Amino acid sequence: MTDAVKPNVETTLVNLTIDNVPVSVPKGTLVVDAAKRIGIDIPVFCYHPKLEPVGMCRMCLVDIGLPAVNRETGKVETDKQGRPVINFGRALQTGCTVEVAEGMVVVGYTEKVQKARQDVLEFLLTSHPLDCPICDKGGECPLQNLTMAHGRSDSRFIFDEKIKLAKHVPLGEMIFLDRERCIQCARCTRFQDEIADDPVIGFEARGRSLQIVTYSEPGFDSIWSGNTTDICPVGALTTTDFRFGARPWELQASASLCTHCPVGCNTTLNTRREAKAGGEMVVKRVMPRQNEEVNEIWLCDKGRFAHHYAAKDDGRLTGPLVRRDGKLVAATWEKALALVAEKFEGAGKGLVTLAGGKLTNEDLYNLAGLAKARGGKALLDSRMAGGDLTAQVGLSTGSNLADLGKGDAALVVACDLEEEAPLWWLRVKQAAERGATVIVANPRRTKLERHAAFTLRYEYGHEAALVTALVGSFSPKRADLPAAVQALIRDKDVKDAGQAIAGAKDLIVFYGSEGTGLAESAALARACANLLIGTGHIGRPNNGLVAVWDKANAQGGWDMGLRPSADLAADLGAAKAAYIVAADPAGDSPALAEAVKAAGFVVVQDIRLSATAELADVVLPAAAFTERDGTFTSGERRVQRLHPAVPAYAGLRGDFAVTAQIAARLGVAQEKRLATGVFNQIAASVPAYAGLTSAALSEVREQWPVIGRGDVYYGGTTYDNKQGLGVQLPVSGDSPALTFEQPAEPAKFKGLKAVPVTRLYDRGTTVTPSAVLHPRLPGAFIALSVEDADKMKIEPGQKVQATLNGVTVEVEAHIDNSLAQGVVLAPRSFGLAIEGPCEITVKK
Amino acid sequence: MANVIGSIAALMNGMWTVLKQGLEGPVTVQYPEVKRPVHRRFKGRHFLRRYENGLERCIGCSLCAAACPADAIFVEASENTDDKRYSPGERYASTYEINMLRCIFCGYCEDACPTQAIVLGDNYEMSFTDRSQAIYTREMLLDPAAPDARPTPQKVAPGSFDRSIPDMKDPD
Amino acid sequence: MNALQTKYAKEVKAILAKYPDDQKRSAVMPLLYVAQREAGYVSRQHLADIAEIIEVTPTEVASIVGFYTLYHDQPEGKYRIQVCNDLPCAMRGADAFLQGVCENLGIEVGGTTDDGLVTVEAVMCLAACDKAPMFQVQDYENITYYEEQTVDSTLKLVDKWRKAGAKKK
Repeated sequence: MTDAVKPNVETTLVNLTIDNVPVSVPKGTLVVDAAKRIGIDIPVFCYHPKLEPVGMCRMCLVDIGLPAVNRETGKVETDKQGRPVINFGRALQTGCTVEVAEGMVVVGYTEKVQKARQDVLEFLLTSHPLDCPICDKGGECPLQNLTMAHGRSDSRFIFDEKIKLAKHVPLGEMIFLDRERCIQCARCTRFQDEIADDPVIGFEARGRSLQIVTYSEPGFDSIWSGNTTDICPVGALTTTDFRFGARPWELQASASLCTHCPVGCNTTLNTRREAKAGGEMVVKRVMPRQNEEVNEIWLCDKGRFAHHYAAKDDGRLTGPLVRRDGKLVAATWEKALALVAEKFEGAGKGLVTLAGGKLTNEDLYNLAGLAKARGGKALLDSRMAGGDLTAQVGLSTGSNLADLGKGDAALVVACDLEEEAPLWWLRVKQAAERGATVIVANPRRTKLERHAAFTLRYEYGHEAALVTALVGSFSPKRADLPAAVQALIRDKDVKDAGQAIAGAKDLIVFYGSEGTGLAESAALARACANLLIGTGHIGRPNNGLVAVWDKANAQGGWDMGLRPSADLAADLGAAKAAYIVAADPAGDSPALAEAVKAAGFVVVQDIRLSATAELADVVLPAAAFTERDGTFTSGERRVQRLHPAVPAYAGLRGDFAVTAQIAARLGVAQEKRLATGVFNQIAASVPAYAGLTSAALSEVREQWPVIGRGDVYYGGTTYDNKQGLGVQLPVSGDSPALTFEQPAEPAKFKGLKAVPVTRLYDRGTTVTPSAVLHPRLPGAFIALSVEDADKMKIEPGQKVQATLNGVTVEVEAHIDNSLAQGVVLAPRSFGLAIEGPCEITVKK
Repeated sequence: MANVIGSIAALMNGMWTVLKQGLEGPVTVQYPEVKRPVHRRFKGRHFLRRYENGLERCIGCSLCAAACPADAIFVEASENTDDKRYSPGERYASTYEINMLRCIFCGYCEDACPTQAIVLGDNYEMSFTDRSQAIYTREMLLDPAAPDARPTPQKVAPGSFDRSIPDMKDPD
Repeated sequence: MNALQTKYAKEVKAILAKYPDDQKRSAVMPLLYVAQREAGYVSRQHLADIAEIIEVTPTEVASIVGFYTLYHDQPEGKYRIQVCNDLPCAMRGADAFLQGVCENLGIEVGGTTDDGLVTVEAVMCLAACDKAPMFQVQDYENITYYEEQTVDSTLKLVDKWRKAGAKKK
């Protein structure tokens, strides 16, 4: 982090003058950053405020002088007028590598500096192609802008000597490189190395032959690759998704949120009217929107590229469908809603609503309200528990992962953070780099371990036992603890990690769903809460429990009163009427497909015809997230708002409005016009949301570094946040008591034990419609331990038959050498019937 | 008296002018059978030009649309492949529309074009019975390929047209 | 255990022993020498093997190969004649010398003779400016300096190699 204001570091102010403007900045600030803070532009190409300075491009040359000090007296020499004498160096210096000093004088307006900038630009342009007209960066290009501002007006360029290089080099499936345009600033390679810790692109050769290469297999296959196109100061790197899609000035920008994981990254949707889409407004690209408390200026590739499920294409539902003679046929809204209302009326208390975790709070509120009013069940489509605990001991107002540093600790348990919530992985990693103690507890190796002070291994099923052992390591021994916990307590690493946690100033605990079903998740969440309560890490900012939810708005679901079902198959199967919204149980698990078939009357509300919808009696369409208003609550309990970016497809409404129309026919009054209307009701009736207003969600504060205004040269093309940073909810305040439940022994199986894991790129309904991601989507697979693979003579990549819960699927066998014998990883949302740990048989 | 003579002289003068004009030929032409030549710098209906080998000059950069003061031009680009090549380089205009009702024939698009693809010709004969007819599409605007050139899309040898902007000459 | 590790087990082990366990990446240079000794260049496979041994990405190893002039990632001649033609050497006739050698061998600068024996390259300063024209010869294992050379003496050297090679066959 080159961030001038580093948390947990005491700041001494240094006074200097830049272009005759006096400024005081913290010690250690770089000259370019100091200038930026007072609105003076020192042009840069290779420098980026989020990366370490390297001083490669020389664009930031400025004249830097220091006060002359008398060697004898040690005092600053003064001239006749009493002003300090300033000694300027003979050569110009790079403002991006020089730290400020007391009394420093920085000058950027002299002819000498202007000439230097002009010369550097002339050098950069000697081999830069003049293809701005077809370049995707044209219009938001730092090289273009800085050339206009500081470059020569004439050319001394010898066209015959122009170096011609490849213009169409696929670095990976997502990113194309134009070698001619590259100015070798190394922002991309440094990003991959310093920020993403995945250096799969690098420099090769030297001098004029220097070029970006990848020798990795398969290519530039990083989940962060899209960010390199944002920070690239020229059009050398372009994404497959947006390539030639539109000129930047033709795009409209609309604030939105990523709906894929519980981080809640702020995004900007760039839209344009398109002939190819029949004259509709379409989302051309998803860009990160700066929120230094959430996603900083980054976005993972899933968030950037997996937006096509909301596209206006033939796969979208445009009107209600009703089953007639076994077939789904189009019906009017009036008829469909009347039928639904009639059947729901008849179902009475037998109504089961199942809501997907990618719905907004408003949708969830209306759904829960409908179920409650009818005496039915309001279920959340999630396999994780603990939303009630995060509301009590979660992160409270004012928390920011960027504040974690020396003396603080973060525990990540049962979670492959990079796969489940990439941005949190990034921020926890950065916390480790700032000196925070990161403890990773997972039965197999995960990427975060590289930055962990302690790596704790346990057996799948012993997640809660491990956390209990951490509590036990600093609390009086309790003889009644189960054997698994006792064994773990004796482990030295567990003991040391426990001490580190107990002694930490601030502690954040992340728990995920690696290897857990609902029951295991509940025990784990409870144990994590105990750990936080036991060590007093609750009720303060930067302390608390964060659930790495399996769905973006699962926290909102819990807050709105929905709960995951302990036995979803039984609940659905027994339902007299099932109202399934934005969830695809049948697609997730073949076992649940049977339950959906067994349910009485099934209404599915979604944007596309899912596997569940195909089994439904009535299918109701709804507007996609790009087309509507609403709020999400992130895993850090930050309520954020998304805005409609494009007009709703076929005049569709948000899910809350559809639900409200059904409710109205059942005599339940609900807000059906405005999402903000529902939000006001939430603020009035859900205690944690009390007093929240749409206006509060839209408040912005000055953020550092300055990004995405006129100065794309400085931070890249990430958008400035003008539409709101969101509001982090307070915790309920009542400190819950420590409750020690004995962690249950995990179920034993005769054969192999399959445990569910989450992969970033899965085959769920929100990912597969994005063709751009297909090369990166693995097919259905399982991962075996080396021992089991050897025993069964299975080679990596071999096709095998895997049977889970009575459903057999052909999958590819992977081998994970950090896996314990007898355990098989089964990824979620790949068509495998897995809800929690279960038995698996693998046949060749 | 002098007044009377003066008046008669003025009258005669006027009569003479009328007589003179009356004896001159008619200035009207039998349009549309007869057409007048337009001025050299006349700006009429647009054309999208091609290179000699039949490839389209337009690279779909949208600069014409950006320059257009009447917002009359709509461009949408796509990517060329060597199997289906429309223009040199990577990008071509897959959609190119000009709304002739909006166009004010200022010629800014012509000025903005980096490849001299769009030019305003001398055709002013545009009439519509429907507003949608005023939208001239890419197919309508494109010059037909020369007799000895191939129409687009062309299948070309890989790597033979990898630059969008024609090579520049060293300025003297 | 990958191919490189198996083939040169002892050597690799000895190299790794020189560096602390958490600084394995420092072993990249000596490992590249081991890899290059086999065929005069570092193959794609060896690149991946080294990356695996020192736990970095193949791209990082390739960057290092690309940065240093004495590592090669393409198979070329068995002997690489690396002629310095920086300014001081050029003033003592290095450019003409380089051209002469290439013409006589029937190759371009940077090219390899048809028999795959000799590659001639132009390189930056070799710190023997006073003895120019000069070059160094890099074969699979060694680097040898040849100073105050003429086109004739160089061609004789090449002939010697040719004969030695023929004898071996």
